[in-house]
Amino acid sequence: MPVSRHGGTVRWSLRLVFGALIVFLYLPILFMVVFSFDEGATPGLPITGFTLHWYEAMLNNRVLLRAVGNSIIVAVIVSILATIIGTMAAFVLVRARIRFPNATRIAFTLPIMVPGVLIGVSLLIYFARVLDFSLSLGTVIAGHLVVTVPFVVLIVASRLQSFDRFLEWAAADLGASPRQAIRHIVLPLIAPAILAGALISVTLSIDEFVITWFTVGSQPTLPTFIYTRVKFGVTPEVNAVATVMLVLTLGTLGLAGVAMGRARRLTGRMRRRRQAG
Amino acid sequence: MTGAGTAPAIELINVTKRYGEAVALDRVSLQIESGEFFCLLGPSGCGKTTTLNLIGGFIPLTSGELRIEGQRVNDLPPHQRDVNTVFQNYALFPHMSVADNVAFGLRMESLPDDEIGRRVGEYLELVGLSEYRDRYPGQLSGGQAQRVALARALAKRPTVLLLDEPLGALDLKLRKQMQVELARIHRQVGTTFVFVTHDQEEALSMATRIAVMAGGHVRQIGTPREIYLGPVDRFVADFIGESNFLDGRVASNGQGPAFQLSNGTVVPIPTEPDGTQNGRVALMIRPESVGVGRGAPGGMTPNVVIDGRATNVAFMGNHTRITVQTDAGILVALRFHGESDEQAVEEEMLDQEVHVWWDPRESTVVTADDLRGSEEELRGGPEG
Ligand SMILES: Nc1ncnc2c1ncn2[C@@H]1O[C@H](COP(=O)(O)OP(=O)(O)OP(=O)(O)O)[C@@H](O)[C@H]1O
Ligand SMILES: [Mg+2]
Repeated sequence: MPVSRHGGTVRWSLRLVFGALIVFLYLPILFMVVFSFDEGATPGLPITGFTLHWYEAMLNNRVLLRAVGNSIIVAVIVSILATIIGTMAAFVLVRARIRFPNATRIAFTLPIMVPGVLIGVSLLIYFARVLDFSLSLGTVIAGHLVVTVPFVVLIVASRLQSFDRFLEWAAADLGASPRQAIRHIVLPLIAPAILAGALISVTLSIDEFVITWFTVGSQPTLPTFIYTRVKFGVTPEVNAVATVMLVLTLGTLGLAGVAMGRARRLTGRMRRRRQAG
Repeated sequence: MTGAGTAPAIELINVTKRYGEAVALDRVSLQIESGEFFCLLGPSGCGKTTTLNLIGGFIPLTSGELRIEGQRVNDLPPHQRDVNTVFQNYALFPHMSVADNVAFGLRMESLPDDEIGRRVGEYLELVGLSEYRDRYPGQLSGGQAQRVALARALAKRPTVLLLDEPLGALDLKLRKQMQVELARIHRQVGTTFVFVTHDQEEALSMATRIAVMAGGHVRQIGTPREIYLGPVDRFVADFIGESNFLDGRVASNGQGPAFQLSNGTVVPIPTEPDGTQNGRVALMIRPESVGVGRGAPGGMTPNVVIDGRATNVAFMGNHTRITVQTDAGILVALRFHGESDEQAVEEEMLDQEVHVWWDPRESTVVTADDLRGSEEELRGGPEG
């Protein structure tokens, strides 16, 4: 029995709003993907025909490929560093008996909430005026670490938090030194979370724009390159690049999701009589 | 004291453990001899797990001394202690197969591979899980997981095996089965077992000795028989099995030690209570020692007989439970079926005048008030 006579109407209008929202969010992306296959030299409606020409052009564009290369270099280094730093920080946060655990946790994760412009400007001033560094991919990496480390900390710390303490006790009980317990028991069990942190760092770094814009030197990353290009008019080539990026990003995020699901299953309470997979 | 052959396997000397302000163990002393099946028994929160964790080395002592085989080990980390633990939740490593779980401790000792392989086989066989060696913990039943945990701990061949309510998660039938299994394994390997439980029946049936704990103290240590038949106080008597308590005071009838019940009757008791039973006392008689009938008791034993009225008769399967109101207090008697005594059909006793009797040798005087006040602690709520 419906709670209210208007229940049906309310439900329908909610669905409508929800649908509109989805269209609003994804329609531009859809167009970008479609335009990347469009024959016309200026992307727009109507679609004139299907071609892979722009993908070919993308592969022949030296400057663009260099930007892609820069992005990949930055992303890989950022991901490795962020994972190491973030994992260590997570251990400190969860395991060490620090004085103000909540304040420390907030301090570690605040950069996620701070506007990118703020981080970008302050980093620029810091590098240029305080440290007297010249801007390069190095400064970009440093900038990206500011926003990726907190994510790794969050993900790994939450796994560590739910880690069954008895497993470590059992390891110690069976003769494992604290170091061996970490290596043989804790790390393998939180590895999926660490992997998820690494993958998320990659995606964050690849499409980070604001901070990069402030910290980048003469070598552009892909987003900054696209931005400078777009100012002179969008070519379908850019659509092709963006589409490739989209696929890669979604793929990486998908992997991260799988990894986190696995982490949850491994470290969660052991289910009795869980069926063999 | 340090000779390895003579020192107790485990010795606690005045051990205190505080968590902040809260005292979990208060000056506990006990000795566990090598080869024993020693039970720590007590209600929830009395400090059993704390005691085990102290012995295992997972938490530090606040004060006192802990010795394993005569060696002071207060500051020895757990991985260097020759004791192993079966945790209440088993704590199997979920990312390792059953065989790898059992092998883990042996690998930490850097034993040669063939020795590890041999021992894993041996101990999985001991617990009857040879076919399960390649399964993962997530694919085991509770009873199987429990046995893997046991094999994993035993494979290290420790001096002492600690078990924290290992059967707590199992259903009644499996539990009984595992009790028998554990007793067999204990006999077979000969290791000292320290077993935590809050199930008195489990403790009575398996232990060589029991320490009854309450509120962070050890109340009594003794064999199951000693504790069941001669509890030191009302708490222990009540916790181990069911008991009748009759209020009164120690008196003398001129012929030997005696006890005056609250209705004035003076009844003989087996021994003069020692000085420790000052304060309020009660006479304790186990229900199975209480006879009941409409006629006088048969036999020649110098029974104590008092009169009362049967207020409840409950058929319990293999026995009947009869509650009798007397002017000295309420007594519960058990009549086991199939005994030759054909005196009366129990059901006919309901609401009738009956006699109850017991052999004075089977009664004990216990302190009724709790001097250390832990009965309140145990009840613990505002209702106490
Ligand atoms: N980490 C801790 N911090 C503070 N108090 C604790 C801690 N661990 C145990 N306690 C307290 O110490 C007392 C003894 O706890 P313990 O776990 O030894 O009880 P137990 O006898 O094992 O009970 P149960 O049968 O419920 O397992 C309890 O009052 C408990 O609340
Ligand atoms: Mg406990």
